[in-house]
Amino acid sequence: MVPAALKKTVTVLSTLGNGVAIGANVVGTLVVLGLVLIVNYDVVARGVFNAPFHGAVELVQFSMVLVVFLQLPDVVRVNRLTRSDGFLAVIGHSRPKLAAAIRHVIDTVSAIFMTLIAVAIWPEFTDMWESKDYFGVPGVFTAPWWPIKLVIFLSATLCAVIFALKVLSPAPRPERVRLPEHEDTE
Amino acid sequence: EKIKAVVIDGYPARSMWVQEFTNFFIPEMDKKLAETGNYEMEWQESYGGSIVKPKGVLEGIKLGLGDIGIVTTIFHSSKLPSQAIAAVTPFVSPDARAVAKAVDEIAREFPTMQNEFAEENQVYLATGVVLDTYQVFSVDPVTSPKDLEGSKVAGAGMNLRYLEGIEGAAGVRGGLTDFYNMLQTGLVEQALLWPEAAATFKISEVAPHMLAADLGAVNSKTVTVNKDYWDSLPDEVKEALQEVAILYRDHVANVAMERASESRDAYVAAGGTITEATAEDRAAWAAAMPNIAREWAEGLDAKGEPGTEMLKAYLGKLEAAGFTGVRDWTAE
Amino acid sequence: MSPVEIGVASVIAIVILIYMGVYIPIALGVVSFVSIWLMRDNFDLAMNLLKIAVGDSVMEYTFATVPLFTFMGLVVSKAGLGSDIYGVMSSGFRRVKGGIGMATVGANAVFAAVTGSSIASASVFSKVSVPQMLHYDYNPRFAVGVVAGSSVLGMIIPPSAMLIIYSFVAEQSVGDMFLAGVVPGLMLAAAYVAAIWFMGRFFPDFVGGRPAEGYERMPWREIASKTLPTLGLIVVVLGGIYTGWLTPVEAGATGSLVALLIAAVRRRMTSRGLWEALLETGHITASILFLVTAASIYSRMLGLAGLPNELGDMLAGSNASFFMIMLLYVLLMLFLGTLLDTASIILIVVPLFLPLVEPMGLSLVWFGIITVVGAEIGLLTPPLGISCFVIKATLNDDRISLKDVFLGALPFAGVMLIILILLIRYPALSLYILN
Ligand code: NA
Ligand code: NA
Repeated sequence: MVPAALKKTVTVLSTLGNGVAIGANVVGTLVVLGLVLIVNYDVVARGVFNAPFHGAVELVQFSMVLVVFLQLPDVVRVNRLTRSDGFLAVIGHSRPKLAAAIRHVIDTVSAIFMTLIAVAIWPEFTDMWESKDYFGVPGVFTAPWWPIKLVIFLSATLCAVIFALKVLSPAPRPERVRLPEHEDTE
Repeated sequence: EKIKAVVIDGYPARSMWVQEFTNFFIPEMDKKLAETGNYEMEWQESYGGSIVKPKGVLEGIKLGLGDIGIVTTIFHSSKLPSQAIAAVTPFVSPDARAVAKAVDEIAREFPTMQNEFAEENQVYLATGVVLDTYQVFSVDPVTSPKDLEGSKVAGAGMNLRYLEGIEGAAGVRGGLTDFYNMLQTGLVEQALLWPEAAATFKISEVAPHMLAADLGAVNSKTVTVNKDYWDSLPDEVKEALQEVAILYRDHVANVAMERASESRDAYVAAGGTITEATAEDRAAWAAAMPNIAREWAEGLDAKGEPGTEMLKAYLGKLEAAGFTGVRDWTAE
Repeated sequence: MSPVEIGVASVIAIVILIYMGVYIPIALGVVSFVSIWLMRDNFDLAMNLLKIAVGDSVMEYTFATVPLFTFMGLVVSKAGLGSDIYGVMSSGFRRVKGGIGMATVGANAVFAAVTGSSIASASVFSKVSVPQMLHYDYNPRFAVGVVAGSSVLGMIIPPSAMLIIYSFVAEQSVGDMFLAGVVPGLMLAAAYVAAIWFMGRFFPDFVGGRPAEGYERMPWREIASKTLPTLGLIVVVLGGIYTGWLTPVEAGATGSLVALLIAAVRRRMTSRGLWEALLETGHITASILFLVTAASIYSRMLGLAGLPNELGDMLAGSNASFFMIMLLYVLLMLFLGTLLDTASIILIVVPLFLPLVEPMGLSLVWFGIITVVGAEIGLLTPPLGISCFVIKATLNDDRISLKDVFLGALPFAGVMLIILILLIRYPALSLYILN
C-alpha cells in the first residue's frame, strides 16, 4: 500500500518537475535567438547608423545567465550533463544492482551539491532585491542584479529536485554516448 | 608572532599597482613591523584570477576569500557610488598625486566612502590613482574638440558621458584591448584613453594624433581589508597598515606620473603628434557637457549622504593644490 | 596537509570520482568544496566560494561565443554545407590512391572553419564519406579512422569551443587564440593528407579502395554553388575577427545570421529545424558553461590553497627544464585523455600548469594551442574517445565495431602527437599569424 502511494507521488512529482524544466528550457531556447538578434542589432546600428546600442554588453551577459541556468535543469533531465560512464556501463552488465546503487549515490551527491548552490545564492538574491543593485554604467546603461541571482537560485533548486527524482525513479539504461539531438538533413 | 595575509587582485602581477604592492607595500610593511619585532607578516599573494577576477575583488574580500584586496572601484558604480568623485569632475586636475591625495582625504573626512565599504564587510585603507589623465587619440589630425563632432569615439564607463555635449559624437563602448583594432578598422575615429595605456597598446600606430584635452586623473583603485580579519589584527599591525597605505597611495600616484611622461615621449618618438587644446576649447567642451558632478552629488544627497559637501570639499582641496577647473561643477 | 598535497589529493579524488561515473562538474565542485572546508576548517568559506564562483563565471561577455558558434555550426550542418564541400573535394581527389580519405580531410578542414565542435564534424562526415569509401572498397577501419582523425580539426581550426574555454581559463583574448589556431590546424590537415599518401604507398592493404569509375569533372557552376556559401561565411567570420571589424562575439552572431540566410535560401531550414538547433545550442551551452563554472570553483580552490605560489617557488628552487615540464604536461594530458573529454582536461590541467609556464616567459597563446591539440588526442584514444563513439553510433552498422574505429584512428592520433611535438618545439608556428 505504502510503496504504491510513494510510487504514485514520485510519478506525479516527476511529471511536475520535468514539466517545469521543459518550460524553463523553452524560455532559455528563445533567449538564444534573442542573443543572435541583440548582437546583430548592435553591429548594424553601430556600423550603418552611427548609433551603437550601449546596452549590448549587459544584455549579452544577462542572456548568458538565462541560457545556462534556464537550460541546466533540462540538461540534467535528459541526461546530457557531462560524465564518463564507461565504468558504469561495464559493471552494469555483470552487476546491474551494484551499478544502479552507484548511480543512486551519484545522483544523491549531485542533489546535495545543487542544494548547497541554491542555499549559497539565496541570500545574494534577497540582498540584491532589497538594495536594487545594478551593473553597468549609470547614465549609459544599467541592469539589475536580482533577476540573475533569482534565476540561478531557481535553477539550482530545480536541478536538485530532478536529481532527487532520479534517485527515486528506476535507473535508466546506460548510454555510451550522446548524439546530436536532431537529425541533420544530410 | 606570525600573521598570515592573503592579498588578492584579479589583475595580473605585472599590472603597475599590483607590482607596486609587491615591491613597495609589502617591503614597507615588513620594514615597519621589524622596527619593534613583535609581529611578522606571512604574505600569500594571489593575483590574476587565481582566486577572483578583477570584478570579483570587492565580493572576494567581503566573503573572506582574501584578507587584503585591491578593489577596482569603477566596476561598482552601484555599491560604491561615491568612488566616482573624480570621474564626474573632468577638466580639473591632470595630476594623479593631487587627485589621489584629495580623494583619500575625502574618504577620511566624510563617512560616506568608508560606509560603502563597511556595507561590503571591509575596511577602507587607501586610494590608488593609476592614470594621469584621459586624452583624445585620433586617426586624423585633431586640433580642437570640434573635430570630434559627428564622429565615433571609443570609450569606457563614465567617460562616455563626456561626449554628450559634443554635437553628433557617438560613444562606442570597448575594452582597452579592443581600442587598437577599433581605431585601425575605422570603427571609431577617436578613442579616449590615457597616455600610458596608449603606449602599452601601441596606439600611435593607428591614431598618431593626440589632443591634449587634459580631461583629468581618475581614482580607480582602493586597497581594502576584510572586516573580520581587520578586527583580529593587533593595533600595531593596524597602524602599520594605515601608515603604509598612505605611502602606497603617494608612491603609486608618483609612478603613474612618471609613466605618463615617459609614455608621452614614447608617443612622440613613435611618430605621434600632440596638440594642446586651448583653454577656450576645454572650457567650451566642459560647458557643453551635462553637469554629471551635480547629478552625482544629488544622487548621494537623496540617499542622505553629504554628496554636495563632498563635491565642494573635494574641489576645494584640488584648488588648494593649484588645480582649478574650467567649469564650476558645484554651480547650478 | 600542505597546499601541494591538497592539490595532488584533490586531482586524484576528482579523477577517481569521474572514473566512477560522477558527473564531471559535480565531481569538480564537490571535491573543491570539501577541500576548502577541510583545509580552512571553515564551512562558510566553502559556501562563499560557491557563491562567488557560480555568480561570476557565466557573466563573461566573451562566453556568448559558445552559444553563437555552436548555433552557427548546427545551422551550417543542416544547410548541408559540410556535404557540399565534401562533394567538391572528393570529385577533385577521386583518382588518387586514398583520394576519398584525402578529400575527407580537406573537407573537414574547410568545414572546421565554420563549426566550433568536433562532434558536429564527426557526425556529418560519418554520414557522407564513410558510405562512399565503403562503396569503393576502402578498408572499413581506414574509412572510419579518417573521419575520426579529421574530426579533431573542428576544434583546432577556429572557431572552436575549446580555444574559447582555454582563453577563459588563461585570460587570453579569444580573437588571438582563434588566429593562433589557423596554422596548426592547417598543418595537421596537411600532415593527415601526407600520412594517407604514405599509407597508400606503403600499406595499401590498410587503405584499400579502387579508383572511381565513370569519372566526370564537376562543372564550375556546381563547384561555385557548393563552395561559395562556405567561403563567404569564412570571410565574414574569420575575416571579421582578423581585420578587427568584429569582436569574436559579434563574428559569432553575424555568422549565425548569415548561416540562417544561407539555409533559408536553400530551403533547408524548417521552423522545426530552427527550434531544434536553438534547443541543442542551449543544451550544449548549459553543459559546457556549467562545467566551466565548476572548474572555476576548482581553480579558485587551488588558488586559495596557495598551490600556484608553491608550484612557482618549487620551480624557481629546482632545475626543472622546459623539456621536463612539457614532457610531464603531454603525458598527463594523454593519460587524462583516455577517459576525460577535451573540455574537462583543459579545465583541470591548465590551472595546475599556468603558474609553471607563466614565469618561464612562454607565450600563453602558444601554450593554449599545445593544450588544445594535446587534449584533443584523447578524442581518438580508448576507452573513452568521444569522436570514435559518435562515429560508431552515427553509422549504426554492425560490420564496424568500436574497436575498428579506435584502431583506424590510431595512426591519426600518432600524427597528432608528431604535430604536437613540432608545435611545442617551434612556437612560431602558432604565433606567426599574430605578429
Ligand atoms: Na572550428
Ligand atoms: Na580518449
